[in-house]
Amino acid sequence: MKKEIGEGRRKLEEELKALTGNLFVPEAKVFEMTCGCVGFTSDLRGLQSDDVEVFKDRINALLEEISKSVGVEPEFVYARKLPGSEEVVTLTARELCERCKREFAGSKAPPRPDIMVLKKKKR
Amino acid sequence: MQLIIPHPGHFSALKEIIETKEAEGLKEVEEVYMAGSPEVMGSGRATLHAALIEDIKEQTAYAHQHHVKMNVVLNASCLGGYHLTFEGYKMFEWYFNELNKAGVDGVTVAEPYLIELLRDLPMETVISCVAHVDSPQRAEFFEALGADAITVDTNINRNFKVLEAILRAVNCGIRVIVNEGCLYKCPFRYSHFNLFSHITTFRASFSNARAQPLNTFGDYYFDKCISIRVRDPSQIIRSPWIRPEDMREYEAIGIEDFKISGRANTVNWILNGMQAYSSRAYEGNLLDLLDCPAELKDMFFIDNADLAGAIKQWKGCKKICEECRYCDELTSKVVGEIKK
Ligand SMILES: [Zn+2]
Repeated sequence: MKKEIGEGRRKLEEELKALTGNLFVPEAKVFEMTCGCVGFTSDLRGLQSDDVEVFKDRINALLEEISKSVGVEPEFVYARKLPGSEEVVTLTARELCERCKREFAGSKAPPRPDIMVLKKKKR
Repeated sequence: MQLIIPHPGHFSALKEIIETKEAEGLKEVEEVYMAGSPEVMGSGRATLHAALIEDIKEQTAYAHQHHVKMNVVLNASCLGGYHLTFEGYKMFEWYFNELNKAGVDGVTVAEPYLIELLRDLPMETVISCVAHVDSPQRAEFFEALGADAITVDTNINRNFKVLEAILRAVNCGIRVIVNEGCLYKCPFRYSHFNLFSHITTFRASFSNARAQPLNTFGDYYFDKCISIRVRDPSQIIRSPWIRPEDMREYEAIGIEDFKISGRANTVNWILNGMQAYSSRAYEGNLLDLLDCPAELKDMFFIDNADLAGAIKQWKGCKKICEECRYCDELTSKVVGEIKK
């Protein structure tokens, strides 16, 4: 697992760099939450929401591939912006618990204004 | 009864709130509120969206087409004195004029000086709960400054004597927040609002527009607030939330405007609360309705039905917990820990 997370972080950084220019992935991790959600998430510096829009498909594919490699089913993939800005600070692939499925993936609109939904598994 | 609904700020969220209102015939939904531009000032709560005037104008027009009022919240508890500089005064005056031109129906503020600035504009001036109106005397001061409506301090939500005295003291509208999950008499309240006021504005320093935003190591107040309740769940019961079923008690004393808090939550969470308070009923974990940290919902379960009748005690309670112990006893009956 340690190896896969490290490889995932490097791969994400390299591929995003190649797509959008200089950026940095300072941290990547696999998490489990008390509600039941599990996921893979990576912090980012240098990525902007425009880039995410333009390269949505590629970013999605990357996140799916990395999250599967660490044992996480990428049901819900999203980017989180710094509130009130266009800076994207995390990319996450998450297996949602029942409550978060309702709250995060249950609306047509993005669940919150700082979240850009990249992929939502059809139920 | 009128409901005031939190709007996270993105247009698609407003559309979904209004679609739900119309599809389900929630005629009580009267108004939505959203944060203003962080370039101008921060607000008392976490703000996830930076609305530009054009955006606010478009959204207001859409809300109006659907007979919903738009309120913009500018309720920072601290402006660092900037509003009392000529530059600050001019900026706020300009911004309020722009909001007015954009068709906004009301502005929610906490700072007394801004209330006076809003006097000459037709927009409704709503006093934020951040102004901590907790007595008839304080309500009178704010009404004299120009308040059209006052959102009272949530700490008096369960003090009907004071609520009734306020209703008698002023002619302006009185609003109560129904689902704030904050600690009763929270020691962090002012500090936390101040922290948000500073971190939700882009201008980290009012005197230096180019200063970097504060890089705090964490939200001390938030983490403490959770820990206190994890150690002592009776604090969740003492919080001054109002169950959907208990709104009738408030209507009976003359309160008509009920505000749902939680503009930093997800759209579906907001819709759930809007439906519950519109129908004056909720089945399930009360914590799902409360604007409180998710950690608490994952740890505790409080069946809303088990709380039926508690309002009878609360509305006349002297709030001397040492002597009363009602909430402690209720806690042991109704608060369950979620087993994983
Ligand atoms: Zn979850």
